[in-house]
Amino acid sequence: MKRDMKAYAKELLALAKAKGCAGAEVCITENDEFSVGVLKGSVEEYSVSGSFALGLRVQVEGRNGYAYTEAMEDGERLVREAMDNARSVASTDEHPMAGPAEYPEVPAKPNALEGMSAGDRIELCRALERAALSKSPLVKRVALCRVAAGRGRFCIYNTLGLEAEREDGVSCCYVEPVAERGQEVKDGFAFRADGEAGDIEGCAKEAVEEALNQLGAGPVSPGKYRVLLRNDAAASLLAAFSGMFSADAVQKGLSPLMGKEGQAVASHLITIVDDPMHPVSPTPFDDEGTPSVSKAVVDKGVLSTLLHNLKTAKKAGVKSTSNGGRGSAGSPVGVRPSNFYIRPGEEEFEALKERLGSGLLITDFAGMHAGVNGVSGQFSLSCKGRLIENGQDVRAVNEITIGGSFTGLLAQVEAVGKDIRFSMPGGSCFGSPSLLIKEAAISGK
Amino acid sequence: MISEATAQRALEEAMRAGGDFAELYMEDGESHSIAMLQGVVENAAYSRRHGAGIRILKGSQSAYAYTVDTSEEALLETARAAGAIISGEGGRTQPFSVYRDVRQAPAQPFSGVENARRIALLMEGTKAAQSVSPEISRVSAGYFDTDKEVLICNSEGLWARDRRYRTRLSFDAVASDGSENQTGGERPAYGMGYEAYERIDAAEAGRTAANTAVTMLHAPECPAGHVPVVIDGGFGGVILHEACVHSLEATSVARGNSEFCGRLGQQIASPIVTAVDDGTLPGEWGSIRIDDEGTPSRRNVLIENGILKSYLVDRLGARLMNHPMTGSARRQGYEYAPTSRMTNTFFAPGRDDEEEMIRTMGEGLYAARMGGGSVNPLTGEFNFSVLEGYWVKDGRIFSPVRGAALIGRGAEVLMRIDRIGRRMWMGHGMCGSRSGSVPTNVGQPRIRVSAMTVGGKGGSL
Repeated sequence: MKRDMKAYAKELLALAKAKGCAGAEVCITENDEFSVGVLKGSVEEYSVSGSFALGLRVQVEGRNGYAYTEAMEDGERLVREAMDNARSVASTDEHPMAGPAEYPEVPAKPNALEGMSAGDRIELCRALERAALSKSPLVKRVALCRVAAGRGRFCIYNTLGLEAEREDGVSCCYVEPVAERGQEVKDGFAFRADGEAGDIEGCAKEAVEEALNQLGAGPVSPGKYRVLLRNDAAASLLAAFSGMFSADAVQKGLSPLMGKEGQAVASHLITIVDDPMHPVSPTPFDDEGTPSVSKAVVDKGVLSTLLHNLKTAKKAGVKSTSNGGRGSAGSPVGVRPSNFYIRPGEEEFEALKERLGSGLLITDFAGMHAGVNGVSGQFSLSCKGRLIENGQDVRAVNEITIGGSFTGLLAQVEAVGKDIRFSMPGGSCFGSPSLLIKEAAISGK
Repeated sequence: MISEATAQRALEEAMRAGGDFAELYMEDGESHSIAMLQGVVENAAYSRRHGAGIRILKGSQSAYAYTVDTSEEALLETARAAGAIISGEGGRTQPFSVYRDVRQAPAQPFSGVENARRIALLMEGTKAAQSVSPEISRVSAGYFDTDKEVLICNSEGLWARDRRYRTRLSFDAVASDGSENQTGGERPAYGMGYEAYERIDAAEAGRTAANTAVTMLHAPECPAGHVPVVIDGGFGGVILHEACVHSLEATSVARGNSEFCGRLGQQIASPIVTAVDDGTLPGEWGSIRIDDEGTPSRRNVLIENGILKSYLVDRLGARLMNHPMTGSARRQGYEYAPTSRMTNTFFAPGRDDEEEMIRTMGEGLYAARMGGGSVNPLTGEFNFSVLEGYWVKDGRIFSPVRGAALIGRGAEVLMRIDRIGRRMWMGHGMCGSRSGSVPTNVGQPRIRVSAMTVGGKGGSL
């Protein structure tokens, strides 16, 4: 079944035209993935794969229809399904396709595992486990220890003559050590990605500290607390609420930012940037083939733009912000952030901790998929961290929740750290520095 | 699907590396989805998924490789890729001798259904939701169906086939007073063909979604604290799913990463608690005829009168735990090696009066509709969100409350269940874990927990 993908894409485009489609587009993804997990020095899980997928979008009477396949053998069926789907669409919103364009040069992302053999990666994974076990006598085992790497190719071809192809790679290592003291059992987690994916010492040290930092944890009494949101926790909250910056969500009335463009939605200390060319994961064009554009989404607290694809841009009478996104090769084109981050400020983390005075340092949230509501903008999340009194670290905290609205929290930001950190690599990258929050509602016992 | 001869050669190639067990999983299927907003179809999509995965076990080691190219040449290459890290003497591959073909055709296959009929269902639910209140500002609706054939064969001579089909509707309503939004959702789902819509009432689902949104729009913030909590039946069973059964999966237990390790035969829950995972319920969303290792599905009593009776165990887990397999191996698709997962998981009905448990609770939270949650099996710390909650004072429902979350530790909360009602029903969800996202049911009668931490924005009532 191996065949020339580009040639097959061209055949499909011609077939769609012949069947009467006004336009058509083929999106192809090809991925190679590798992952290894080690426990007690031996390989516990090992997985390798090669995959490809093809998505067809057709335009019939001004409407888009989609079909997707992993078995590239029945072009007629694919075109028919896509055309049927286009005819089922009733929305009259125009969704144009991109034509050919000049793309910016983007630097290659560093990849510490590039060129490393499977054997070397397995060795690296073993070394990561050993490093984690060596960091504290309280750590006698790890629950999870992995090294993973992948390469992907993403191509779009359409009847306007667009031929856009890009490649990217990700690599990472992560470890979850278990610390035990008496009856108490706590785990920690840390990862290193891409250029740092070989930093097993740093990864192991951080993960073990995370586990040890939870020993002796207990709740605090419910009330209003000053909060220092550590960079990684802040980045995960930003990721969970990033959907509200989508023009698609706003136009559909499914975002609390509806009608807020040009208005203050956060403290003036907050600037949120979406930069597809940021070195954390640079890309020349988005999933529709629009050349990458860097922009401030929130500029000193003011919502300056939403994230657009070609469809939402057309509807709003603006230009696409190069945020066209596809969940898979066959998903209807939506909106997704690229490298989306809160711009770092000036303050050292330790200085923020001092400024916190008495309050909570929050280091991790749980249950993001359930506790965050992107339509209302509200959240109520289980979290953990440390209790700080007069700038001094007192003890570990868990079994508490923090509640509020995302923009409400951003409005309460009193200081922004310089310690920006990005989350685990994925389709989009989310980053934030640590944020000092005036007041937030905490529940406990 | 591939021939027996091709499968045999792929398994032999996999066993050549030196494993003691090899398995081939292949799937080929299609799905349809439609998205509607405010009664207007926004998108429609068709997907064909096709691929195979080969797994080799050697003792406690597992190697997995997958491919979308299912030609014999590609399968042999995939077998070699998985075998790359296995070393030893090549094991024997038994000829196929155990034939387990459990394929059944749905009464109404999806391929014969016009999009117009699917759209009519979405429209019906949307209109019903919109008619609940003028405050309903948006209704999104979604339709999904899937029908796939799977082949599972292994080096011990098993040749198993199944056909799996499911369908689901979703309605999400937004209620707005102009300045703020609240949401409600409902997602009825069955493991059936299109005949599922003889059971699913789209209008009722739409109304349910809208009612929650409107109720929450007028609800004050939930107070925070440690109080008694009554959780209603149906999707309320997510508490069992998160707080307990994830920690009974071999995925956690086999490697010592669960608070319930080594507790078989011991009391881990209040004596009124009996908990079951049953994949055999006909037509249910979480049901499977055979699991993804080809083992027949079954009813597993996990907890009986508070005593831990069984874990959920897949083949690898069985090796590590010296525990029989429970027909619980599942995976999202060929991209994942299977592991122990839930099917339809529920608290069995008890003997308590549903009204009495609220009347005698004093002050606390009545969680009428639950959202999703998560758990860390190692520590047992869980969390979940409450979609529709009511504050109870002096045993009477005092006010709806929004923004509530429930957190705690599994072992603690199981011991604190002091009431279990008589009528059990189930809700439908998607469960994410190591082997991807799989459809599961959760269920329970109305229950009461004597004390739980309720989180929110700290409202006062």
